[in-house]
Amino acid sequence: MRLAKERKGQFIIIAAMLLSIMIVSVSTVIYGTVTYYRQERWEEYVTIVDSIKTASCNLLQIGLANYSQTLNSEVLKNYFNRWIRDVRNAYPGYGVDVDYALASGIRSAYGIVPPMNYSLGLARKWNMQTSYVASNATVNINIASVGLTGYNFSSNVFLKMSIRDVVWYTGTGKWYVLFYVSVDKEGLEPVIGLQASNFASVKLSGVSQSFTMKRYYSPTYKYFIYEIKVSSITSLPSSANVTLVDSRGIKTVSYTTIVQQQ
Amino acid sequence: MRVVESIMAALIVISAVTFLYFFASAPSSQAHDTSELEKIGHNILHDIDEQGLLARYVYRSEWGNMTSALVVSLPVNVYFSLSIYDMNNNPVNHPLMQYGDQQVFSSSAAVASVTYIVPGYQTSYDPRILVLKLVNG
Repeated sequence: MRLAKERKGQFIIIAAMLLSIMIVSVSTVIYGTVTYYRQERWEEYVTIVDSIKTASCNLLQIGLANYSQTLNSEVLKNYFNRWIRDVRNAYPGYGVDVDYALASGIRSAYGIVPPMNYSLGLARKWNMQTSYVASNATVNINIASVGLTGYNFSSNVFLKMSIRDVVWYTGTGKWYVLFYVSVDKEGLEPVIGLQASNFASVKLSGVSQSFTMKRYYSPTYKYFIYEIKVSSITSLPSSANVTLVDSRGIKTVSYTTIVQQQ
Repeated sequence: MRVVESIMAALIVISAVTFLYFFASAPSSQAHDTSELEKIGHNILHDIDEQGLLARYVYRSEWGNMTSALVVSLPVNVYFSLSIYDMNNNPVNHPLMQYGDQQVFSSSAAVASVTYIVPGYQTSYDPRILVLKLVNG
């Protein structure tokens, strides 16, 4: 009996040894899993991809700004060709390769009717009551050093200006014209930070006018509105024309022949 | 009575746990630290860029604003040094944009470096490479 009891004591040691082996094994596996990505430095590549992505989107914006001011329809293509060469120099040793496809043909977006007609990634409709300019491209990023291939994204830049109403007010010896204008950018997000200096020109019947501007949320239009006031207009204008250059340097021109009288 | 066996078993388990404690201590935190700093640096440059300020600071030579923006955005114990290059890696002429003594950068074992590209400003394509170096104070 005594011998049997003494033998049973060995099982405690064996159990403890098995428990220890189990603890060490499980911990090693968990530790290896947790620390694997720490050694790989993925963050570095993620930041490179993110930096290229942001810069490509900015390039689309710069290209659109240039196009809207110069009407050079090849500017985006030229900029992207230079960009894919330059980005390799910016990250030497990573095997960075950027490719692009500029939007082409008719595409529906932002409720624009008729849909936008892109050529070389650019679309424009000016001298309408609602005018816009847009750029659109798909960019493909490969980083050979980490085997990243085919990461692509589409980006677009957009600026739309609508002349909601132009009203000629008369009476009590004062004559003036009020423009009610709304401005949107990509995502149909209202542009709310424009200053009077952003409205490059305001014309009535083809003649440039000096003006004052205020901005507010209009319950009438249920939208953020820029109200442009031109004073001392003694006759009903035949047309109204507004040129806008936003803070990004993107230009658009709206025009209407509908001037109301009150 | 299995007192001896119990003590031996306890010693075995304690040895295993002690072994794990030393084995699992953080590897080299240096790589991890620089990775974190790189992430912080990139995010800050990205945020300033998203606000449309980064290109303005660079192309309109608003170096004071650039330095201030980085100082207020970075954690208090992180020092930085910013250099700007053109696409041929020639330094662009600008005053020293740095927070913290030069000695901090030379003596620190782990300096994180973030490369960020600004393709141009307004209508002009004229890329600049921003190299932001960061160290923990």
